[in-house]
Amino acid sequence: MEKLTKEQIDKAIALLKMRPDSKLETHLNACVHCGLCASSCMYYKAMKENKFIPARKVELVASLYRRYCTLTGRVAPFLVNARELDDQMAEEMIDSLFGACTMCGRCVKHCSIGVDIAYIVHFGRRMLAAMGLVPKTLQATVDAALTTGNNMGIETSDFVDTIQWMEEELQDECGEDARIPLDETDKDILYTLNPREPKFFPLSIAAIAKIFYAAKESWTISTHMYDVTNYGLFNGNNEQAGQIAKRLHDEVIIKRCKRLVLGECGHGSRANRWEAPNYLQQPYEFETITAVELINNYIRTGRIKIDKSLNQELVTLHDPCNLVRNGGLLSELRFAVKSAVSNFVEMTPHGMDNFCCGGGGGQLAMSEYNERRIKIGEIKADQIRKTGAKVVVTPCHNCVDQLSQLNQVYHLNVKIKTIAEIVADALVLDKE
Amino acid sequence: MAELEFDGDGFLTNPDIWTEDVAKEIAKADGIEMTEKHWAVVNVIRNNFIEKGNAPMVRTICKETGLKLKDIYELFPLGPARGACRVAGLPKPDGCV
Repeated sequence: MEKLTKEQIDKAIALLKMRPDSKLETHLNACVHCGLCASSCMYYKAMKENKFIPARKVELVASLYRRYCTLTGRVAPFLVNARELDDQMAEEMIDSLFGACTMCGRCVKHCSIGVDIAYIVHFGRRMLAAMGLVPKTLQATVDAALTTGNNMGIETSDFVDTIQWMEEELQDECGEDARIPLDETDKDILYTLNPREPKFFPLSIAAIAKIFYAAKESWTISTHMYDVTNYGLFNGNNEQAGQIAKRLHDEVIIKRCKRLVLGECGHGSRANRWEAPNYLQQPYEFETITAVELINNYIRTGRIKIDKSLNQELVTLHDPCNLVRNGGLLSELRFAVKSAVSNFVEMTPHGMDNFCCGGGGGQLAMSEYNERRIKIGEIKADQIRKTGAKVVVTPCHNCVDQLSQLNQVYHLNVKIKTIAEIVADALVLDKE
Repeated sequence: MAELEFDGDGFLTNPDIWTEDVAKEIAKADGIEMTEKHWAVVNVIRNNFIEKGNAPMVRTICKETGLKLKDIYELFPLGPARGACRVAGLPKPDGCV
């Protein structure tokens, strides 16, 4: 890291002093150092170093707060363990807040007084972003989204070619009237994708299209803006997060669709559904729901027919942190999976207490911390192995990628599927 | 292999020093014995990278090799990105891979 300039430091401190509400102070000053968070954190559990204890991560930001925002900290910093924002501090912050946190929020649930630790970590990332210290690999993903419209830099012609290919596959199976409609207007639904689907794993697109076909849904995908991801949630730059969110918001308006449906992506669902109206400081004019909730509506209302005997293998569910602990879809995910499979087993722990896949918070993008990501993933691998399941279902493409890697490294010998894929496997199409 | 440098994810730091022997070594680390089909995939990725500076769509790989999607995932169990692109010596693609 190059030496910090005064200008960089001033920008970060200005952020610390600019407080729109009392949440930051409340949570920075509330930690009672009970240590319960330690054993909740995958990093600490896997590596047993004190710097990985969530409270230590909070303390980095809190010590800066005391140094720059309290009288005692300014006059006699040593009395209150207040720290200077210097090169050493910045390096520790990068290592702990970017490199050792998936922002899964498990520690928040275990905190004896409910400190929003993930929020503090995110605030620390904002300070680092203000200083231009976002890891290059993570920033590259945000930059790709900002400059090309999707986080993998896929060209429109390539995208269209892949969608048409998946449409042909779908038509081979379901008939000529099965379609993947591009750039249509006035539809009920604007559907979104994680760019890794068209780029490398397009079968999940065919799967959701098959479900939409069975449900006779009125839907479209925009070739201009289909990316459900928003890595601005992770890099700490809320302005960039807002720019990315606004594009998707505007696309729903331009295409005059009634609903924005978020493809199977944990952080993207959180960013677009819960955070985006805050980034943009405006309520959304349309409804935003996840693909899983939409599929469940079809099942509940009989709009699609499912025969769960078509999925006989033992299935377990991985709860994406941003959909369950931070997203409220605990029972929705279970309803979808249990509707589509004959044999289901839960992981221990699961639901609100589930362990992250290990690839959240932008970790999958940051190669420099790969070793840690695989190491903490061993906890998830053990959980999966203990279920004896042959299939792991998870409605998040980021989790899918991490789990696929864990599958190989830890020899789990399982299949990883999205909810659309497992539901499509059990779908019974009307014979006309 | 001693002189080869990889990023934290095991992708070659400098794609220019890639050779077929390097590909074989990376593949071996993933438990893959390179066959004609593996080479066909790797060559498409390599050529795309030289021409356009990025990884091709899996669509392009299928089109140019004549292989089915299923075959690609079987040949490279880690998928086109972490599996095939890594063997082809490309830098890690951005995004959720």
